[in-house]
Amino acid sequence: MKILLRTPLIALLLIFAPAIVTKAQDSRIQLSSLDHLAAKASRTIEVNIDERLMRITTRFLSDDDADEKKVKELVNGVKGIYVKSFEFEHDAEFSAADVETIRAQLRGPGWTRLVGVASKKDGNLEVYLLLNGEKVGGLAVLHTDDRELTVVNIVGPVSLDKLAELDGQLGIPDLGIEPQKPKAKKEEQ
Amino acid sequence: MNEDYLWDKSGEPDPEIQQLEEILGTLRYQPKPFEVPGNVPAPRRRSYFPLVAIAATLLVALLAGGIWLRVRTRHEPRPQYVQVPTPPVEGKPITSEPEKMPAPPKEHVAVNRVPRKRSSLPALSKREREEALAAKQQLMIALRLASEKLNLIHRRTQSTPANQIKNQHRVG
Repeated sequence: MKILLRTPLIALLLIFAPAIVTKAQDSRIQLSSLDHLAAKASRTIEVNIDERLMRITTRFLSDDDADEKKVKELVNGVKGIYVKSFEFEHDAEFSAADVETIRAQLRGPGWTRLVGVASKKDGNLEVYLLLNGEKVGGLAVLHTDDRELTVVNIVGPVSLDKLAELDGQLGIPDLGIEPQKPKAKKEEQ
Repeated sequence: MNEDYLWDKSGEPDPEIQQLEEILGTLRYQPKPFEVPGNVPAPRRRSYFPLVAIAATLLVALLAGGIWLRVRTRHEPRPQYVQVPTPPVEGKPITSEPEKMPAPPKEHVAVNRVPRKRSSLPALSKREREEALAAKQQLMIALRLASEKLNLIHRRTQSTPANQIKNQHRVG
């Protein structure tokens, strides 16, 4: 009887083992635990672009437009982009436990905390990378402030340099998430 | 010696033959009922259950996979729109309509062998096109947001003393 039970179990294990391993290395972070904050937030940005949408969307990125061409190059190979950003009217509208649900996932296998900056003015900023060997398999940016909680999760290979270069481009007005940079200083650079 | 004795046991038997009869008589067939010895193992029938179980497991797994894929495709998360004022994008508007090539008149014998330039946008349904355009907007917002955060970190790391930067690793 033991053999009879063991055979299907082994077969199931063989079938699902690759899927389990793949899932373990998946760089997608579950952000649904933050959904309840939308009701409290004064402004919410939510982006859910999965692999299918990503494929369709890249077709709409023109090679003739310089910005779109950059974006197309940047997202080449990216399997999904997920963002949840909440801004609140008052301090402490979200709890440390909310942030911990995200951090706990980023402590998982493969994830490396690339940099973390804490400042009174801008709060805590952290960048995490999922590394598959030497290749970047995913990116997560976590920003927590007294009145802001933002998580950006890019699934798949992405270049940090190219991503940083996009600031102030893409034909999208400033989202007002960070204070305006002084123009004089920008010109100097 | 009466030789008939050897045929039908009639007449007088030869003493030598009688002696042989007595000796060999102990080995004579004695009828008795057939008995199967208890210690003989019964031949096992080959069990096909493990093979059937594996086949059933594979079938169930394939079915589950198929259902999961179908459900996943049907309930793809719809893009959520973000209300951000967007200035009109300069330049040629993007269209998904395939380029129309003028068809050569039928009476022409010569045929242009230059391959047609295929549109970079394969045929998409209206719904998919709307979805893609909304997703494109989302994509731009997401990348802009990520870029802003990275630049903010970059500026802070440049302006922050090294001891305030936590856990920085070199990658690549």
